[in-house]
Amino acid sequence: MTKRTRLFLGVACGILVAGLGTGLVAAYVGGFQNLVVIGSNGPDELAYVPQDAQMVAYANIREIMSSDLRQRLRELQPASPEAPRRFQDETGINVETDIDYVLAAAGGAGNDSNQDRPLMLARGRFDTVRIEGLLRERGGAIEEYRGKRVLTQPGAQFSVAFVEPDLAAVGNLAAVKRAIDTKAGAVADVTGNADVMRLVRDADNGSAWAVARFDTISTRLTGGLPPQLPPIEWFVVSSHVDGGIRGTMYAETRDEASAQNLQDVLRGMMALARLQAGQQADLSAFVDSLELSGQGKTVTLGFSVPAEMIDKLAAKRLARPGAPSEPLPPAQQPAPSTPAF
Amino acid sequence: MSGAFRGAGRVFDLSLGQLLWSRRTIFMALVLAVPVIIALVERLLTVGGITAMRVNDVRVGGATIFGLIIWLCLRVVVPILGVFYGTALIADEVDDKTITYLFTRPVRRAAVLLGKYLAYLVCTGLVVLPAIVIVYFLAVPFREVPGTFGALAIDVGLLALGLAAYGAVFALVGAVMPRPAVVGLVFAFGWEQAAMLMPGYLSRLTIAYYLQALVPHAIPSQEGVAALLQALIGEVPSPVTCVAALLITTTLALALGCRVVERREYVLEQ
Repeated sequence: MTKRTRLFLGVACGILVAGLGTGLVAAYVGGFQNLVVIGSNGPDELAYVPQDAQMVAYANIREIMSSDLRQRLRELQPASPEAPRRFQDETGINVETDIDYVLAAAGGAGNDSNQDRPLMLARGRFDTVRIEGLLRERGGAIEEYRGKRVLTQPGAQFSVAFVEPDLAAVGNLAAVKRAIDTKAGAVADVTGNADVMRLVRDADNGSAWAVARFDTISTRLTGGLPPQLPPIEWFVVSSHVDGGIRGTMYAETRDEASAQNLQDVLRGMMALARLQAGQQADLSAFVDSLELSGQGKTVTLGFSVPAEMIDKLAAKRLARPGAPSEPLPPAQQPAPSTPAF
Repeated sequence: MSGAFRGAGRVFDLSLGQLLWSRRTIFMALVLAVPVIIALVERLLTVGGITAMRVNDVRVGGATIFGLIIWLCLRVVVPILGVFYGTALIADEVDDKTITYLFTRPVRRAAVLLGKYLAYLVCTGLVVLPAIVIVYFLAVPFREVPGTFGALAIDVGLLALGLAAYGAVFALVGAVMPRPAVVGLVFAFGWEQAAMLMPGYLSRLTIAYYLQALVPHAIPSQEGVAALLQALIGEVPSPVTCVAALLITTTLALALGCRVVERREYVLEQ
């Protein structure tokens, strides 16, 4: 064997071993994450979510609020955004500064409507003494439940429990109490729900994501869904927010034939969107970014809303008559107001 | 038996350099440069924010492009390499009238075929497989590697299995028939393509039937009569059946090839 033959064999073997080795290490680490040995098994707050949850959603509020996208959206808003201020008035929580992330969950459309009510778990910095005092002033009730103080609005429509010093559970009284029961181990938590957790592990890599059993969404949608839509069992959406939004929607159907049908439906809708985009140039970047793929029972649709598209929409909005003449400066945040429980 | 393997080792050592630095390998390198260039262009366009490829107006991602390249390799590149290298293992020595020199060496005749076949496997394997690994890392974004590496490992194994099976069959053809390259091309691109579309068990008499059933990627968007026929009559054998069939085919073809080489009187044209 000549020297150059040996050299060639060495280089070829090196490429092969390096490539397969790199892939193996990456897959090993990815696999570990999937096996939950060292990696993500979803947020810790899932320990408060009951096992029968049919919808789990997460949003990294801090990341979203500090993103370029948020700054652009602020330019679209009128001078004094009403909704956040009202929320702050009612809860004493400034969403932009006080909350790090939020986890929301809801049960299925079962018989016990109280258990189906959504629960929100917010991790952040809360002035619990102040909030409790305000609630008392407004006639709210405070009760101890499994060592946690549950604050309930008059009429028991809305309750808050600071289940950890920096974690608030918000929802109706039954949902909050059930969350406390779940953490205490009286009720099994959602980490034991293999279907939900399998999808949560896949989705838990974005600024915001949601995993839901599709029938729970469809029953809540007003007007329902077209009967021609193939049967979807699970629906996942995961997105990264920075200057724009990049995301993936993922549907798991009942069988492979349904997945194929769903792909066909989506392909048709994309063709229609492409036609519309021909008339509206602003949308073409979004439509161009759509990426449809499928494997087995799953259909995946990737999308991206680029920063340039948001800039164009912002410019259009500002050009309209009656729009704010100048964007809201970042320093001009709504002043903290007195919470009004 | 150990003497035969020692002889095969010597023939392998001699043949590897010959195969590696032949015009065939230059041809193979050029063929394999095409997917590497496609993947490189796709990566550069993606980095530049441009959609590299669309099928039916749908954006095609890197992983899908890699899947298409694997299909192309299995359907076209691997059979071509099998035909050109496999049929030449013995036929070239006959055409060049150099087979006498090999057969007069103190090694069994079968060892000549075996050694040359091993040299073919190493030569093609070490050109094709690294090229595919390079294509993979160019086409597939690194964040998708953990999820798709299993498919790459299967692809690499499949290509190696395909090269082994096609090489063994065409080595047999080269040992038995005159003008084996023509016969090989007719087999690979005539018989295999036609048999895959025919109802019944004929498709089981092809190598492509077992290779295709093992491919982890979805079949590229199918349209037309051929796709319709395949969908209607298509039947997917189990992975164990496929691997077993390919290994049996390889072993049987090699054994028959060795037997033919041992017994046949090669008459050199003057």
